Amino acid sequence: MILRNRWFLYGVSMLAFFLVWDRAAVARVFSSGLPRPYEVVLHLWSMMIDPLAGKSLLGHIWASTQRILIGFTIASLVAVPLGLMMALNRYVNAIVKPLFDLLKPMPPLAWISIAILWFGIGETSKVFIIIIGTFVPCLLDAYNGVRLVEPELYDVIRMLGGKRRHEIIQVCFPAAFPAIFAGLQIALSIAWSCVLAAELVSARSGLGFIIIKGMNLSRPAMIVSGMVVIALVAWGMSQLVSGLERHVCPWKREIEGL
Amino acid sequence: MREERHPGQVKIVCEDITKIFIQKGKQRVHVLDHISLDVKENEFVVILGPGQSGKSTLLRIIAGLETPTEGHVLIDGQEVEGPGPERGLVFQGYMLFAWKTVLGNVEMGPKLLGVPKKERREIAAHYIHLVGLDGFENHYPHQLSGGMKQRVGIARAYANNPKVMLLDEPFGQLDAQTRLFMEMETERIWQTEKRTVLFVTNNIDEAIILGDRIVTMTDKLPGRMGPVYNVNIERPREPTDMRVLKMRHEITEASKLIL
Repeated sequence: MILRNRWFLYGVSMLAFFLVWDRAAVARVFSSGLPRPYEVVLHLWSMMIDPLAGKSLLGHIWASTQRILIGFTIASLVAVPLGLMMALNRYVNAIVKPLFDLLKPMPPLAWISIAILWFGIGETSKVFIIIIGTFVPCLLDAYNGVRLVEPELYDVIRMLGGKRRHEIIQVCFPAAFPAIFAGLQIALSIAWSCVLAAELVSARSGLGFIIIKGMNLSRPAMIVSGMVVIALVAWGMSQLVSGLERHVCPWKREIEGL
Repeated sequence: MREERHPGQVKIVCEDITKIFIQKGKQRVHVLDHISLDVKENEFVVILGPGQSGKSTLLRIIAGLETPTEGHVLIDGQEVEGPGPERGLVFQGYMLFAWKTVLGNVEMGPKLLGVPKKERREIAAHYIHLVGLDGFENHYPHQLSGGMKQRVGIARAYANNPKVMLLDEPFGQLDAQTRLFMEMETERIWQTEKRTVLFVTNNIDEAIILGDRIVTMTDKLPGRMGPVYNVNIERPREPTDMRVLKMRHEITEASKLIL
């Protein structure tokens, strides 16, 4: 039965989406604000060839990706070990937790203006925003990952002759890995929001810059092109993290779907 | 027969154990009240009691995971002061390492004791074979059924070659058929590699099928020891054997428990 075929249904769903989009564009539902799908494809192609503000499309993709990689790497390298240490040592917890709880509820975008005052409109302020945004989920999930370990697993290690360090190496860390990766995934999507916001405020490059440029020039095809590329690149990076997780945590059950 | 199996050497001594937990808000929970129990070498003793009778706490005290408020536990004359590899513990909830394969789980004990890789692989292979899991060495726990998970739990506890095996309601999460099958397997494994066993359960059939001796616990806290029964029925025992059924009747009558 072809109707039961997953790939066939995926195809039907995608086709229906593009058809509705195309008809809506032709019928000018959003007046001239919605380009037809093929116009977006053409625009993407033209951006590959004609540079915008001195950079081709790939250059802009790399500009945004680079900011995310730097910010995300710095934040995860600091926040994950800090979260683990907070969960394992109550003195570290007592010192860091009040500060963290104070800063945690503040949306990362609230830092944009002060970041520009501190670091100017260059790369540093954008990376800073990404660090602020990704730090919270990295730390929280590492911390919770350790705190939610089944305590009887430590009993197993102790009964088998293990010491405290074995409890940490053999139980704590591996048990916390899936939570750490969940945190990294959330951090990654927050990183994209942060980099976009920062680029919308001030930038001469990046995917946010393409979008804001398209708005200023009243070129919807340009805006939608930027949106599509962000979705594709963000999806690709998330797949990379998932792949890394499968490699590091081969015991994790595969979850079908989302 | 009994004399042959138990040369009379006492392996575990519980002397006058009382346990009172102090919970938050200074509320005292009196869990165990003056429990005294001797277990002989290679004897299979079942502690039978309903839920909330303190039997698991008693096992955790013997394991060294809890300290008694009063009294003490001796194993081979040595006082138990904490958990240790000369006692193997099998958990009700399996407690396997989800991130380790069957092999990785079973070899964990020898690994923690510093046994070289080649040697501990051989030990693990031996016990994986003993519990009947050949061919599943590289499976992860989530790929196994409940009964198989507990086989891993038993093999893991055996792998350190403990003098004493402590089993805390090991088959409580299994369906009736698997449970009976695992009881038969426990009998077979124990006959192959004799150990002194303390087995906690709330299942009266399980107690009669497996135990040399059944120690009952009263049904309200604090847990006290009820009557003790010697099971003089040759092994392996069938749950429908008349003598098993008669004993079941006898214990149920005496304990006034719905077991």
